[in-house]
Amino acid sequence: MRRILLIAKRDYLEMIGSKAYVVGLILLPLLFGGGFLILPLASRGNNKNVHIAVIDRTGVSASAVIQAAEESNRRAATAGPFGNPGAPRYIFEQVKPAEDQAAQLLSLSDQVRRGELFLILDLSLEALHPAGDRKQEPVRYYTNSGGVVDPMGLWLPAAVNDGLRRVRLAQLGVDAARVPGVLDAVGVVSMNLVSKDPATGNIVQGERKNPIQAGAVPFFLVLLLYIIAIFGAAPNLGAVAQDKMQRVFEMLLCSASSFELMMGKVLAAVGASLTSSTVYVIGGLLALAGMAMFGLAPLNLLPWFFVYVIADVVTLASLGVALGSACATPQDAQQFAFLLILPIMIPMFVLTPVMLQPNGTLAVVMSFIPPFTPVVMLLRQAVPGGVPWWQPWLGLVGVFAWALVMIWVAARIFRIGILSQGKTPQLAQLAQWVLRD
Amino acid sequence: MFAVEIGDITKTFDDLTAVDHLSLSVPEGSVYGFIGPNGSGKSTTMRMIANILYPDSGVIRLFGQQRAGIRAREIGYLPEERGLYRKMRVRGLLEFHGELRGGKNVAQEVNGWLERLGLADRANDKVETLSKGMSQKVQFIATVIPEPKLLILDEPFSGLDPVSADSIRGAVLEMRKRGCTVIVSTHDMGVAESLCDSIFMIFRGKKVLDGSLASIQSSYGSDTIRVEVEGGASVLGELPGIEHVKDLGQVQELRMAPGCDPQQVLRTLLARTRIVAFSVVQPSLHDIFVRIAGPQPEEETPVA
Repeated sequence: MRRILLIAKRDYLEMIGSKAYVVGLILLPLLFGGGFLILPLASRGNNKNVHIAVIDRTGVSASAVIQAAEESNRRAATAGPFGNPGAPRYIFEQVKPAEDQAAQLLSLSDQVRRGELFLILDLSLEALHPAGDRKQEPVRYYTNSGGVVDPMGLWLPAAVNDGLRRVRLAQLGVDAARVPGVLDAVGVVSMNLVSKDPATGNIVQGERKNPIQAGAVPFFLVLLLYIIAIFGAAPNLGAVAQDKMQRVFEMLLCSASSFELMMGKVLAAVGASLTSSTVYVIGGLLALAGMAMFGLAPLNLLPWFFVYVIADVVTLASLGVALGSACATPQDAQQFAFLLILPIMIPMFVLTPVMLQPNGTLAVVMSFIPPFTPVVMLLRQAVPGGVPWWQPWLGLVGVFAWALVMIWVAARIFRIGILSQGKTPQLAQLAQWVLRD
Repeated sequence: MFAVEIGDITKTFDDLTAVDHLSLSVPEGSVYGFIGPNGSGKSTTMRMIANILYPDSGVIRLFGQQRAGIRAREIGYLPEERGLYRKMRVRGLLEFHGELRGGKNVAQEVNGWLERLGLADRANDKVETLSKGMSQKVQFIATVIPEPKLLILDEPFSGLDPVSADSIRGAVLEMRKRGCTVIVSTHDMGVAESLCDSIFMIFRGKKVLDGSLASIQSSYGSDTIRVEVEGGASVLGELPGIEHVKDLGQVQELRMAPGCDPQQVLRTLLARTRIVAFSVVQPSLHDIFVRIAGPQPEEETPVA
């Protein structure tokens, strides 16, 4: 054990002292999560006036629709933790409908293309009293945005409907202003299930589902695990191949066994990963505290997060060290890189279905497949509602059993790989190394 | 008492038998030279003694104990293909190796050896900045801290300039003086003759020579005539009783067939040319090596 720790200490210090590690530590969160932080900052510069042309073919709806839209915008600018006072200021301009509808829309579209207009809102004649069997929506808006993410779609349809309802009420002789709240929309919220506290037996009310807590927190937690595991383990592949090429191992082999050498390297990778995890977790908690959102921090999941980091890095680093030892050159090691990250990459493809149905069959089955357990189980645990208490523990047993198997396999390859010479073996030959006495 | 006792070991790699039923005993406190052509099994044997490889069959005892699988602080091993962590500083690297081998006063020993081999002023430099000779000295120091009872050196002098080679040679002799047993492999027969108390030669995995230089040479008898004659090798053809003529330039060595009378050879030569020098000698280690490992008559390509 003393020798394992000595090797681990040397490798750990070399790893965290390298420029690649320090630069990666800073760059990774910016690359993977920075967009979310940059978005609000970037939007602060967008608070210019944007012009919306309203074509009202009903002849009576424009004022009410514009009023409702402006009220909606004022509420959005100040509401909630994500209220954005720096958002664009929308200026509505009523445009008289032309006889040649198509030519008018083309002319206005050209203005949008030139940046003179932001959006064209077209209220058709049927907007006020739509027919029952509508083949076309009676209100359309035209923009130049990509359409993948449409922020206008989040508020404009509701505002338009609000305005149209006011006109309909007025036509029925009802002054909406004299019937307070007649047009108020009530909040309809999604709640977590009610549960029973196993310790006290008391009924615990379900909490309101927070879209950030439900989506962003699990996503970032799993993304962090994924990044840490890959960037903690993958460098071993090239580093070991490099050490082998520089003939470092044989001198060490007189002093330490190949297993001790390998475990020292794995332990160093775990140490480096835990260091970066700690930096990121502390940074994340401080950031949440700074935004007065500390309540969103998944503190109860952090121990699980660190356990999964250890399990994933032990598994991947063992495999990385073993495959690196088999390579003749660091360049050859690249061919194994995909194989190395595959076990942790596969569950990333099922994030969405798992988040939508954390206790669905797919999610449950995948969370019990040991190579996928850390990512999928952590995701299921992080999504509000959680998982039955025994499932993470059972998953953990499988994960550590899997890690032990991978250590055994890696040690079998490593003992032969570090002294092997000649060209890099194929996978079939590596399998023979594992089974050879 | 023997530092190393090897009993009938065999080691194969797939279809290749690298070491074939080898037995050997290395006395404590001696310098034991391993010689043999490339690929004959020297390094494999050394790796097995150093517990890096394990024999398929047979026994290896170090200081009377069978120690397969144990990394002992008593063994220092300098492999033929050696490398160091290039990004580490010299002192840190040596302390790492020393501690890995279980050293107690590693820092003190490192300072002593750096001073002794003239590397004290490079102690804080990165390994990658050292010359090849300096790197090899550092590797040697990494092998002898903490001071081993058995030092295994695989080609320690290869690629070294004469000054660096003398430093290492001096260090090896000092180690022996302190009671350390040294096993050293070399392709330089001069080094083997001058440095080693005993010489062991392995060829195609089998032991072909083992003993002191004198005993090995005497086993071949005085079957060599060293001559210096006018006309050189060109006048030495077709000499009766001579199996082989080796032309060394100014001097030629004639190997006599069994039963050959050197006096008869002398008379024949006198009849052919003027003789500057004529002596009957034992074969050199180099000559013995070539006789064993050189192409055998049936392997030689016939000249058209």
